[in-house]
Amino acid sequence: MSPLAALAAALLLAGSAAAYGQTRPSVPEPKGLHEGGDFGYTPSTIQGGTVLDTLAVAKLVQAQHPVLIDVAQLDRKPPNMSPDMPWLPQHRSIPGAVWLPGAGSPDKDASFDTALARRVAELADNDKAKPIVVFCHPDCWASYNAARRVISYGYRNVYWYPGGMEGWQSEHETAVIKPDAAWLASKPVELTEKK
Amino acid sequence: MSCLKTSLLLSAAALAALTVVPASAEFGDSLQQRQQRWAELQKAVFNTRTVSHDEKAIQIEAPGRPEDASMVPITITVADPANTKALYLIIDDNPSPVAAHFTFGAEAYPKQIKMRVRVNAYTDLHAVAETKDGKLLETAAFVKATGGCSAPAGLTDEEAMRGMGDIKLKVDSGDMSANKPAEATLLIRHPNFNGMQMNQVTRLYTPARYVDKIGVAFDGKNVFNLESDISLSSNPVIHFAFLPDAAKGEMTVQVEDSKQSHWSQSFVIPTVND
Repeated sequence: MSPLAALAAALLLAGSAAAYGQTRPSVPEPKGLHEGGDFGYTPSTIQGGTVLDTLAVAKLVQAQHPVLIDVAQLDRKPPNMSPDMPWLPQHRSIPGAVWLPGAGSPDKDASFDTALARRVAELADNDKAKPIVVFCHPDCWASYNAARRVISYGYRNVYWYPGGMEGWQSEHETAVIKPDAAWLASKPVELTEKK
Repeated sequence: MSCLKTSLLLSAAALAALTVVPASAEFGDSLQQRQQRWAELQKAVFNTRTVSHDEKAIQIEAPGRPEDASMVPITITVADPANTKALYLIIDDNPSPVAAHFTFGAEAYPKQIKMRVRVNAYTDLHAVAETKDGKLLETAAFVKATGGCSAPAGLTDEEAMRGMGDIKLKVDSGDMSANKPAEATLLIRHPNFNGMQMNQVTRLYTPARYVDKIGVAFDGKNVFNLESDISLSSNPVIHFAFLPDAAKGEMTVQVEDSKQSHWSQSFVIPTVND
């Protein structure tokens, strides 16, 4: 690589890393969905889609009213918690986002894909050109997986925002939102207890 | 920096343009929602009792932007320890907001408590002192933390559980004497699994297991009892003060976790070389 190309590459990398505040290593994209745990360094690209930083998400929200899909997990209540201790989970997100907890699961069950595809189609008004932004938290594979699925359904303007709620929160107001009722009603596999 | 400013300007415009958000949420929605949250929490924890804001009576120190959201150092200081019956640390946005509830006994000197907690998001923290005459006095701090609750412990579960229940107590007992406050640091080895940490290979969640009760007594007389939960950091460390009624004695620490495991350890203080 020529010194100039190396510099350009370094700047590009720095640009994407700055998206969520600090320089982070990135890893190559998997062929399909990521099947390990959600937490870990994620790629700097996504096949068939576009990676956005916080500024780009803000611009897109302003200009195109994309569908914002938050795939963060639900908080899990410890089973043996003292009844004296209040359990009052609440979730903050990008204002206007639709929260589909567990939608970033690598689950291979066809019913999972069907449920997600149906819900995304409703949210996008069956418009395959509708811009869709998928996010959860930094260093979280769930949003990568969910974005890959949405791309596989044929949407042409799918954006992955790896900075997630925390990236947004560092520069913008957040809003408390509830899980999407239609999605929960479709009983996505990831939400059921595995143990 | 200029980049940040630009995007802040953009965000105002962007949010204003979002038709799906109600008008009140266009800007400053967070403040309103945070106040609502605190009102909800007061009701859940203190029922109908009045909680008064009083920055003179109680102070809370927390880093504005903690380096590690899974161990955010908190210091709570009260102005009148002799009149303090109990202390609460409430982390508003944590799913289980009551991170700590201390009740103080005869040998307590609840001037200052330091501890480390998990903080889930940008959130208010409230410290509430309950006075012996039944008042509830609060103060708040805002912490910009991210992801303290679901961050994996960094070790395998087996590694994290090694030595579970080991208790250490360091007493600053250089010139310990009767009826003079002395400071101590309690260290408990415990992974404090909060049930939200996903195994990176199996995708199974490590079952919740956390310290939920700590009792400290000096010569059989209570210093404090602590009720806690998943907001306590792994390997809890609690710095506190006590008021011994004798220059020598035995400090007993009892720890119980959510799986009903029980550990107990006694420490003769001052330590031998005095």
